[in-house]
Amino acid sequence: MCRDSTPLEKAVQFHGHICPGLIYGVKAAEFAMKYLEVEPDEDEELVAIVEHNSCGVDAIQAILSCTFGKGNLIFKDYGKHAYTVISRKSGKALRMHLKFNRPRTPEEERYRALTEQEFLRPENKDEMEELRGRILADLLSKPFQDLFDYEEVEVNIPDKAKIYPTVQCEVCKEGVMEPRARRVEGKWICQPCLERREGIKDV
Amino acid sequence: MCEANVYLKRGDKEELLMEKVDRITVEGETIFLVSVFGERKMLKARIKEMELVDHRIIMEEIPWEVKATRSKEIWLEPDSKHGHFHPGEEVRFLLYYGYNMQKEEWPNDLELEVYAIVDGETKEVEREKKEGFWIIKLKESKEGLVTACAIAKRGQERLLAKVVIENGHHVHGRLHPAGLPLEIVPSEYRHVHLGEEYEFLVLKDGRPLHQAKVFATYQGVRSANPPHQLTTDERGQGRVMLTAPGNWLFSVQDHDTVSTFTLVKDY
Repeated sequence: MCRDSTPLEKAVQFHGHICPGLIYGVKAAEFAMKYLEVEPDEDEELVAIVEHNSCGVDAIQAILSCTFGKGNLIFKDYGKHAYTVISRKSGKALRMHLKFNRPRTPEEERYRALTEQEFLRPENKDEMEELRGRILADLLSKPFQDLFDYEEVEVNIPDKAKIYPTVQCEVCKEGVMEPRARRVEGKWICQPCLERREGIKDV
Repeated sequence: MCEANVYLKRGDKEELLMEKVDRITVEGETIFLVSVFGERKMLKARIKEMELVDHRIIMEEIPWEVKATRSKEIWLEPDSKHGHFHPGEEVRFLLYYGYNMQKEEWPNDLELEVYAIVDGETKEVEREKKEGFWIIKLKESKEGLVTACAIAKRGQERLLAKVVIENGHHVHGRLHPAGLPLEIVPSEYRHVHLGEEYEFLVLKDGRPLHQAKVFATYQGVRSANPPHQLTTDERGQGRVMLTAPGNWLFSVQDHDTVSTFTLVKDY
């Protein structure tokens, strides 16, 4: 890349397209950086706890560099559109959650009604594309506080990711991280092999 | 039992679309179905066969056709996924014919003229006809702001296209109109990003054109017509928020002339 991308562009590059959910994540990531006075993560200076696994999480990964691979993206499957960003340096944690009763715009209502139709007329497809543009433009121009509530929270800061020894599974002979392997009759066994074995026993 | 099951024929297969349909309304190419359970469906289709004894109605989907609400247009795109060129690199553009960034075969009866302007100087270009489109090449690759223009004529009809692209990384400066009889000009030249508002000016014979209808669309658009239809203000200016990645195409029509401007974004 010859030129810097904006946070939104980074998120779209990572996610593959632009959508309302991604914009929520972009807004949250940008606000967290400003509030906590931090830069995107390099080596686990930040931790993000996400309470859902939809589009916005990709913006958190792309903008804050809190990633699944690095281990500083923690997923809690609560089904809530909430993000907590922790700065290890300051010890501060910011939790942001999408406002529940935010009124939908007429464009959002109409778009939703059209998406529920199984078959669309060509003019409806045109209308949807136009509405989509208007909805995205509206969300992009909205301040963070109109979309999210936020507060500083007390959290136990998770430990940094550790590197564990690899052991060999007695059944499949593949390597497996020691804390994820099980000791059965004095031998290491990986989780899928153990489940398979238990499944056979059940039959 | 007077209700029927409606099937949709797709190729050799028949898919059950709705059971126990008690009402079918046909409006042009659109069919509305209502079942005894209150289920409703709408589809663009035609009735192919009715087997009344067996309570079967077979429908065939009508393919979605692109219906233009404006004349066809031509537009230029850089032959680079990078969004700009580097000095020494061949500066190439692709010239297309179609509508709403949906390409069609280049018509044989269009008389074509192409040229480029680099930092205010008109430069010669080479052109090469490919299957359905043209490749336009700048003869020399000098650092600067490159404006490529194409003029296609057919009788009274004039199709104009313009694109501006940087050759190099540190190109700045004011962008002057290229002098096309109908032209869309960015209000200021800058690197444009997704999510930003973009302002442009429409000129007719060098003067701002107010109340001009400008269509704006982008790569990968999913609608048959441009999703943004804008009107210029009393200063001939219009603006739109860039809500889609990739290049954008602006087009304006005045009688027999359609003029486009391709906004090239790095992303």
